[in-house]
Amino acid sequence: MLSSIKAKIIIFYLMVLFLSLSVLGIFLYLGLGKIVHDSIDSSLLSRAKALAMLINEDNNETEFKFSDDVMWEYNSPKSKSFFQIRRPDGTAMEKSASLGDSELPFQTGKNQTSFETILLNNKPVRLINFHLHNLVIQCAEDIKDQTNLLKNYRIVLSLSILSIMIISASGGFIIARKALTPVKEISETIDRISESNLSERVTGKNIPSELKGLAASFNRTFDSLEKAFNRQKQFTADASHELRTPLSVILSQSEIALRKERAVEEYRNALAAVTEAAKMMSQIVQKLLTLARLSSDKVELNIEDINICKTIHEAVKLLNPLAEQKGISINISGNEQPVIRGDRAVLLELFTNLIDNAVKYNTPHGKIDISIRKEMDFIVTEIKDTGIGIHEGDLDKVFDRFYRVDKSRSRESGGIGLGLSICEEIVKLHGGRIEIKSKVGEGTNVTVYLKGIKDVT
Amino acid sequence: MRILIAEDEKSLADIVKKGLKEEGYTVDVAYNGEDGLFMAENEPSDIIILDIMLPVIDGMTILKKIRKAGIKTPVLMLTAKDTVMDKVSGLDSGADDYLTKPFFFEELLARIRALLRRNSGVKTSIIEIGDLIIDTASHEVIRGGRVISLSAKEYALLEYMAINRNKMLGRTTLTEHLYDQDFDLDSNVIDVFINRIRNKIDRGFDKKLIHTIRGAGYMLKG
Ligand SMILES: Nc1ncnc2c1ncn2[C@@H]1O[C@H](COP(=O)(O)OP(=O)(O)OP(=O)(O)O)[C@@H](O)[C@H]1O
Ligand SMILES: [Mg+2]
Repeated sequence: MLSSIKAKIIIFYLMVLFLSLSVLGIFLYLGLGKIVHDSIDSSLLSRAKALAMLINEDNNETEFKFSDDVMWEYNSPKSKSFFQIRRPDGTAMEKSASLGDSELPFQTGKNQTSFETILLNNKPVRLINFHLHNLVIQCAEDIKDQTNLLKNYRIVLSLSILSIMIISASGGFIIARKALTPVKEISETIDRISESNLSERVTGKNIPSELKGLAASFNRTFDSLEKAFNRQKQFTADASHELRTPLSVILSQSEIALRKERAVEEYRNALAAVTEAAKMMSQIVQKLLTLARLSSDKVELNIEDINICKTIHEAVKLLNPLAEQKGISINISGNEQPVIRGDRAVLLELFTNLIDNAVKYNTPHGKIDISIRKEMDFIVTEIKDTGIGIHEGDLDKVFDRFYRVDKSRSRESGGIGLGLSICEEIVKLHGGRIEIKSKVGEGTNVTVYLKGIKDVT
Repeated sequence: MRILIAEDEKSLADIVKKGLKEEGYTVDVAYNGEDGLFMAENEPSDIIILDIMLPVIDGMTILKKIRKAGIKTPVLMLTAKDTVMDKVSGLDSGADDYLTKPFFFEELLARIRALLRRNSGVKTSIIEIGDLIIDTASHEVIRGGRVISLSAKEYALLEYMAINRNKMLGRTTLTEHLYDQDFDLDSNVIDVFINRIRNKIDRGFDKKLIHTIRGAGYMLKG
């Protein structure tokens, strides 16, 4: 609870409030105290002066002309005003009847008029020592009422501060809760977003501007999550679609073949068709596995020095029979022997796929030119064919999984649209990129840039 | 019974066509959506088997177009996806049934029979006309307790007439529903077949089931 933002806001806010109210309270209290004391002090001073006027001093003769009408306020033992007259050495000379047996305390040695607060018979009393040239007039007054007043004032102040604090705390709690409601709403929305409703977003008019950024970045995160998720879903759907069709062929072929007795020739045809479909399926599965392996986070690669020229020659050798069937000639140029760090089998797969495309989508008796060169950090391989080419609108889609420009044509030659996706993954693994340019009817130009895998030491 | 298959996977379309033909159906095949739509609109089919993912025009669009054109032929959708969404939208746009790839051929046959039945108001796979019993599942024909053996074409003609019983069927209609588009329409062929069926089911019975309507065609009536 104490770690919640709400509690922190309230505690901090209460502390600040308490501090400022306390300062104000102390200030008010001291101010009032000063006013009270000042007024007592000035009345004491005028009393002392009034008494001084009634004293006649001639040649060391001191005469007190205290009349009754002056004395009445000092006479009663219950009076709250007192005086005592002393010599500067402390010798008591005269005192008011109100003092009874007690005396006003006096310290010798000071010859300056001074004020002090003392306890007289356990009662707070304010005292003035008023110095004349040969006398000290001490006047005092009981200040119990004033002290009580200040004490009450202190209690009232403390209670006010306390109640203000309580009201503020509850107000602060409400405000904090209100301020945090949108945060709660956002977090509830996020809680609600799951696999089944990934398209839900943090929205609403009551998102305050301070939180818009937060909401927007949440939404962006979910956008990319949703995209990745949908891509994966689409991939799974496509993969299952690709597998379902040959599976249907296998089922129908065998079921229909078994429905009645047939000639051997018919069984043979059925089995041939089944084999064809099964081959297709195994190809799809193989390519899917390759793709899955390459795009997983933990690809296991066998990294060594690879001579790209040699790898390309190997790939061409693998595809030569197919090329010869179509009367296509393959020419390799480039006299460098560039070496990069990489996985031999994987790189062979890359070039086989690209040259396979160049053969498959070539015209009969077409040509394939492969050139290898160095360009800065990269080894650049260009595979140029004189084939059917690719429409501009299809160019950026050919790397999509299962994408085929001409589905029926591709199917006849066994294409399933995974070759270039696999190539893209391989090139990415080898710190490079792949570019494709094409013109319908003229041919396609695929360029591969490879840097090699950095060895981890 | 004439069936149109619109399926771009040639190897699948061809084997299904072969299997259906062996069952006595007449089959036309379209390998893309454009041909499929044209044939659905212009050839008299009793059932259309429509793949959803077709090049040029997809199956769903074809379905919507032919329904809009008022063609009520039952449509059996074939799909490689089996999400609920697909089924719902397929049936919403007027498909009569659904089959997910990969499918069993036997199941395809059962669905086809069910659709044909549904269209004719017959509830079971057995059609009875008087004392003539036709089992559309096993293609067995019995009259008066005696099993009658028919060739595939003869059976197909009889079944078509049985499903459309009490209806006058012209020679052209019968030819169209019995032969695919490559057949040169010669309605004399129908007369030959009708005679053969008559010999097998009506001969020796007092009550004749196949009636000739002069100048118009034939009718199967109990
Ligand atoms: N050299 C090329 N010339 C013309 N079209 C090409 C070329 N390379 C690729 N394509 C087009 O891009 C599509 C995708 O190619 P990709 O290699 O990914 O798949 P595929 O060749 O169809 O199948 P496979 O998975 O067997 O390689 C191809 O179907 C083809 O239409
Ligand atoms: Mg390829």
